[in-house]
Amino acid sequence: MTDKYLVEPDIGFLNEVVGLGGDTLKKCYQCATCSVACPISPDNKPFPRKEMIAAGWGLKDRLVSNADVWLCHNCGDCTTMCPRDAKPGDVMAAIRAYAITEYAQPKSIARAVNDPKKLPILLAIPALIFIVVGLITGLLDFTPGGGEIVHGKFFSTWLVDLVMIPASIWMVAIFALGLKRFIGDIHQNALATGKTDKEKIEPAEFIKALVRVIPRILKHSKFSECGENEERATSHMMVLFGFIGLFIVTGIFFVVLYIFGIHGPYSQLNPVKWLANIAGVSLVIGSALMIKNRLAKTDQVSTYKDWSLIGLALALGLTGMLTEMTRLGGAAGLSYTIYFIHLIFVFALFAYLPFSKLAHLVYRTVAMAYAEYSGRKF
Amino acid sequence: MTDDKQAPASGSILVVGGGISGLTTALEAAEVGYEVFLVEKNPYLGGRVAQLKQYFPKLCPPTCGLEINFRRIKDNPRIKVLTMADVEKVSGGPGNYKVEIKVNPRYVNENCTLCGECAKACKMEVSNDFNFGMDRIKGAYLPHEMAFPARYVISPQIIGAEDAQRAKDACKYDAVDLDMTAKTLNLDVGAVVWATGWQPYDANRIDNLGYGRYPNIITNMMMERLSAPNGPTKGLIQRPSDDKAPESVAFVQCAGSRDENHLPYCSYICCMASLKQATYVREQFPDAKIYIYYIDIRTPGQRYEKFYQDIKADENIFLIKGKVAEVAEDPDTKNITVVAENAVTGEKTRQTVDMVVLATGMQPTAATTKLPADLTFNADGFIVNDFEKGGMFAAGCANKPADVMSSNQNATGMALKAIQTLVRR
Repeated sequence: MTDKYLVEPDIGFLNEVVGLGGDTLKKCYQCATCSVACPISPDNKPFPRKEMIAAGWGLKDRLVSNADVWLCHNCGDCTTMCPRDAKPGDVMAAIRAYAITEYAQPKSIARAVNDPKKLPILLAIPALIFIVVGLITGLLDFTPGGGEIVHGKFFSTWLVDLVMIPASIWMVAIFALGLKRFIGDIHQNALATGKTDKEKIEPAEFIKALVRVIPRILKHSKFSECGENEERATSHMMVLFGFIGLFIVTGIFFVVLYIFGIHGPYSQLNPVKWLANIAGVSLVIGSALMIKNRLAKTDQVSTYKDWSLIGLALALGLTGMLTEMTRLGGAAGLSYTIYFIHLIFVFALFAYLPFSKLAHLVYRTVAMAYAEYSGRKF
Repeated sequence: MTDDKQAPASGSILVVGGGISGLTTALEAAEVGYEVFLVEKNPYLGGRVAQLKQYFPKLCPPTCGLEINFRRIKDNPRIKVLTMADVEKVSGGPGNYKVEIKVNPRYVNENCTLCGECAKACKMEVSNDFNFGMDRIKGAYLPHEMAFPARYVISPQIIGAEDAQRAKDACKYDAVDLDMTAKTLNLDVGAVVWATGWQPYDANRIDNLGYGRYPNIITNMMMERLSAPNGPTKGLIQRPSDDKAPESVAFVQCAGSRDENHLPYCSYICCMASLKQATYVREQFPDAKIYIYYIDIRTPGQRYEKFYQDIKADENIFLIKGKVAEVAEDPDTKNITVVAENAVTGEKTRQTVDMVVLATGMQPTAATTKLPADLTFNADGFIVNDFEKGGMFAAGCANKPADVMSSNQNATGMALKAIQTLVRR
């Protein structure tokens, strides 16, 4: 053997992956059972065996820029079959969590989002912004009065959008910057490891691949191929469709408000309102099911990155539904308070999304589109 | 042996298990002057070695090593062999054990001349455990050609049936005695050596490797019987589904070994066994392709390493680093496709072969059968030797997975330990 390869392990990376739930990675003895056990792993350069050894050696660059870690849906088939009781599925999840913080800048926010001690500060920021901006502009009225409960009188829709629109722009901008590096990196990685024969990324072809992949994502077809926890696909679908439904509702009412000038609250008979209610309930039930599944599954590691995301989804759903219910029930003070809390979580969703586990929505979609584009054989 | 120079015998030694380790312990102790009881549960001595086609280090057929040992036993009045016997109870302490042994009826006495008339007279057939159920034998049978004691056995399965009477009537030497019953013997011994050996790990428990579902997936011990001249096919390697000569064979290493879901330890012998079995196939079918899937090839020592190097140089033998984790059968051809990731190239490979051999590991007998004595076991069922306490010792594979060579070395050592117990009394 004349090929020389000097391994330069990144111990800090290794320790972080261990801390993010990848603590079993050193048990791996490279038998490659996992790569065969995985129902969604491709035939050329399958995962997660190669990721396990790279993680064990602390080869950060080979993992963070590796699209394959995103193709894994953490079903746990590999973990069940592992002869060493290592948990490749959890190691992959830990690498993904690390990769998110690598691509989301500024890093200090990424670190705060993944640190439970910083949670009160992160939630206090939107509260403070709301109060300060609200009081300066006069768009926040603590004594809305009136017989009917109208949230817009307490917390003006102008104020909502004054904060949320910049927050969404911030989110999109951070994702755009992250994705730019991400796509370049995963392509380089694929070239270096022989996963693709495409030399350059053709934008038009890539978009076509993305279009082909999206129905698969919506149907959770890859997700459902994993044998170990099929039920997870159901709860995940409920949460995803809950979010999509609420996104559509928000979009429609945004148009209704600013273009047609019709203010809420809208009638319960309105079909858009039906969609809102169904999506909200779906979000609450889906995230509650996720909590139940995670608590029941003792062979899978659940860390702060998992709990904080499910918690946020549940909190968004619950506060949203409760705001509506207390409004219909006529409990003005309670309804306004819950609405305020709800908006804090909405802000958290937008502003912290690129730094949290929820960023998988973007990275996984792109990675799956790239796999489709680059012609990985599944 | 020069009798006047031997050590004074005080008390006797019980050796449990008549495989290669038990034979060695018994002979080593007896040949320096100690009285030995050798207890074996099967109707014959020789244990697992008797089932092999060839064994390491010199690839001898089992006759080679066992025959000389049987000769030594025959010539040595100090060894008392009890076959078809189970140790029921051991009480007492070092130097002074009381042992209860149940001797099951063989229904054939020492008049037997191996004429075989009893077997011919039998009409019923029973599954042949010696060949792992790959063939059937008559209810009156000789376990194998080299069986020691060289005497027929009547299977308890035909006792009470007409066949038993037919066998008795056919015997011209009055050797069949259907009135035999189980006897209990009580022995006083000074030391006990447990050479209870091993059994192949139950391949039915390895869900993903298809044993029991697909006929052309067999175990390595079945492969030994298939290749052995005294096996079910008289040594012709053929696949079970259609008796076809295999054109390709895949060996699946670590089938149930080094696996937390099965046997967490390395069974030590399976790498060498598969490399050896590759030569069986190559000798019979010079064009056959052999695929050996492994996690690590473990060939301890210079001799074994040399053997591995020779196998590696064979252009019809392919060694693939990657554990087989999935198998599938083609329902028409009954061919088997094994799936593994080649960890060197990073490609998932699917290889279709005529036949698959699972290199199943060693499970100590004590893991599934409780030994009736105050012994310490590790989590896997191997006996942990307590030399402080002394008196009882484990030899060979009852103590750890081992090949014949290390079992014999270990067994010799345990014979000495047993003797020390007697002398220090």
